[in-house]
Amino acid sequence: MAKARALDKRRKSIRNIKKITRTMELIATARFKKAMDRASAATAYTDRITQLVADLAKSGLEVSHPLLEPRPETKNAVLLVLSANRGLCGGYNGNVVRAGLGRREELLTEAANLDLEVSGKRGISALKFRKITPTESFTHFEDQPKYEEVELIAKRYLDAYTLGEIDRLEVAYTKFVTISRQTAVVETLLPLGSLQGASDDEKEEPEATGESMYEFLPSAESILQEVVPVSFKVKLFKCFLDAAVSEQIARMVAMKSATENANEMIKHLSMTYNRARQSQITGEIMEIIGGVEALEG
Amino acid sequence: MATATKNVGQVTQVIGSTFDAEYPEDQLPSIYNAVKIEGEHKGVKVNLTGEVSKHLGGGRVRCVALGSTDGLMRGQDCVDTGQPVSVPVGEATLGRVFNLLGEPVDGRGDVEAEERRPIHRAAPKLTELSTSTELFPTGIKVVDLLTPFVRGGKAGLFGGAGLGKTVILTELIARIASEHGGYSVFAGVGERTREGTDLWLEMQETKIGDTGRSVIEQTCMVFGQMNEPPGARLRVALSALTMAEYFRDSTGADTLLFVDNIFRFSQAGSEVSALLGRMPSAVGYQPTLATEMGELQERITSTNSGAITSVQAVYVPADDPTDPAPAAAFGQLDAFIYLERSISEKGIYPAIDPLASSSRILDPQYVGERHYAIARRVQTTLQRYRELQDIIAILGVDELSEQDKLIVHRARRIERFLSQPFLVAEVFTGKKGEITSLEDTIRSFEEICDGKWDHLPEQAFMYIGVIEQAEEQAKKMAKEAS
Repeated sequence: MAKARALDKRRKSIRNIKKITRTMELIATARFKKAMDRASAATAYTDRITQLVADLAKSGLEVSHPLLEPRPETKNAVLLVLSANRGLCGGYNGNVVRAGLGRREELLTEAANLDLEVSGKRGISALKFRKITPTESFTHFEDQPKYEEVELIAKRYLDAYTLGEIDRLEVAYTKFVTISRQTAVVETLLPLGSLQGASDDEKEEPEATGESMYEFLPSAESILQEVVPVSFKVKLFKCFLDAAVSEQIARMVAMKSATENANEMIKHLSMTYNRARQSQITGEIMEIIGGVEALEG
Repeated sequence: MATATKNVGQVTQVIGSTFDAEYPEDQLPSIYNAVKIEGEHKGVKVNLTGEVSKHLGGGRVRCVALGSTDGLMRGQDCVDTGQPVSVPVGEATLGRVFNLLGEPVDGRGDVEAEERRPIHRAAPKLTELSTSTELFPTGIKVVDLLTPFVRGGKAGLFGGAGLGKTVILTELIARIASEHGGYSVFAGVGERTREGTDLWLEMQETKIGDTGRSVIEQTCMVFGQMNEPPGARLRVALSALTMAEYFRDSTGADTLLFVDNIFRFSQAGSEVSALLGRMPSAVGYQPTLATEMGELQERITSTNSGAITSVQAVYVPADDPTDPAPAAAFGQLDAFIYLERSISEKGIYPAIDPLASSSRILDPQYVGERHYAIARRVQTTLQRYRELQDIIAILGVDELSEQDKLIVHRARRIERFLSQPFLVAEVFTGKKGEITSLEDTIRSFEEICDGKWDHLPEQAFMYIGVIEQAEEQAKKMAKEAS
């Protein structure tokens, strides 16, 4: 009896878990749609502006911008890790933290001074467990990061970079490739020049059509002055958006498989439970019959 | 016994493996007396010993047949021997194989024993018992760490069908008996005859330490295997125990008693119980289950004159340890080893469940603070891992907190490290048996718990002795992979 009851209790608790995971799957799906719309709306703009900056930098003009030039020496570097505030999204947080920490090891050998900044409670606690204290941490980015909030951070980086307080900015986040593929990557956002490598596939087309497509008014310099910082901000914003979309997808997938696993387990437990119950009944019948027989004999 | 005083009755009824006999009212044989039936009818020879177990009234007694009742018929003469079944005891029994009646069955002629003792005796008195708490190392890591045996104590191996109870028991014989200077007694109760033969042959080959003498010279074996009627299986454990008691009481030597399998004793009891007219109790067992088990187990004990260290295999029907028969045996033991099917399914042998198994002396008072602390750490880690298993099954390892991930990581290594190559399995696995000293065992587990070996792959922890071998195994694996 004890065994059958324990099995039934366990089955009930798994049913409850299943209810939760099923609901979370539905919520994640809804949120994913919203985040996806925002991200794809931003993608077109970001790609275009990135391309523009790349073209300008390549256009062979003598003008240059401090944000575009790689510094000969990296003294102070910043690594920003974008993780989620919440768990239950499979390997999402684990992967991005692992990618970030891997890069951190490399950067520590290159740069004399490394500031680690992290967004998301999960990332913060993962670092805490490894006894690493981040210089800065944010927890206010949810599934719909606002441009104004990101801009604040971006401005801070820009100022610091211009002043020479930092020489390099890298972001570890989950890049949204397709709905079925997101990868944890580390990208260099500052200096912007090295950003060209990141959007390699789209570079070939404009290169062919050419350099002298642009006419600068009032001057190339003033345009660059305006466009380059915006490009950086947008790029950083895109990282946050990608991370948000990827998080929702990861949660969706994780919850879907969790629900399936729970179903599987319930099936298995039901079978064991039925068998236990059956043998218990058989045992009791046999005992009664045996007792009667013994009394008669 | 003079023929004039011979007390003869007649068989009046034969019911399966029990029979009734009628005696004159004033000459009823006492309970537990052995009665003999010898005769021939239509070419079928009958040579049967029975044991009186019930007085029915009207001059009739009901007896349990200790052999086959084939050919038995009503009216046959049934002679009261005036005493219980007795077996030969003493040095002469060493190296020999007996049945429950004390008759040699190894085909090496008669046994010239000076003394015979009845198999029914009272358990030693309260004041004669000794309470030893000395640890008895076996060289098996999981046993020494989590379920240390007591010298002069009783250990039970519980497990369902096919989990390796007999293998572990054989392994213990190979490990303990070959190191041990005293005598050993093996009781085969209701198990496969083939395994008994294997063991007998193996004991002839295995040598005790460096003395050049084989283990069998210090051992006597008593068999009442599966093919024998329930009466035989019910009493064979007592016969073996009587021989072991002699060594304990008369020579004062440390004696080892191995029983495979004590459950068959209860099972045989339940087979004859209904025939004796007792009302079945829970799950169809005899109502006297606990009494029978208690009478047997209370005699397997260490006294001031000598010690019996006993290892008993206990079959657990349908993997259900709450079944009355294993539950009755459970309470009698000092060390309790539970074999778990889910562990054997992972290919980890010995499939000892580190959480369900326990020992009376796993206490800082007896094993020392360090041993106790590490055993508890290992158990806590494994316990936490087991609790997390449902979460892992549903949500995946990634959902765990960092702390829990580390616990899972180590628990999986500990789980594998609990496996160990066996001496008796050398011929099958091709791996040399490992004897790990207690100190090495404790140190190894401590280092795993401290995270010193976190970097090695899980597979490197399978089937090794001390922890350093994991490193070698990991290197070997890496080489094979490349």
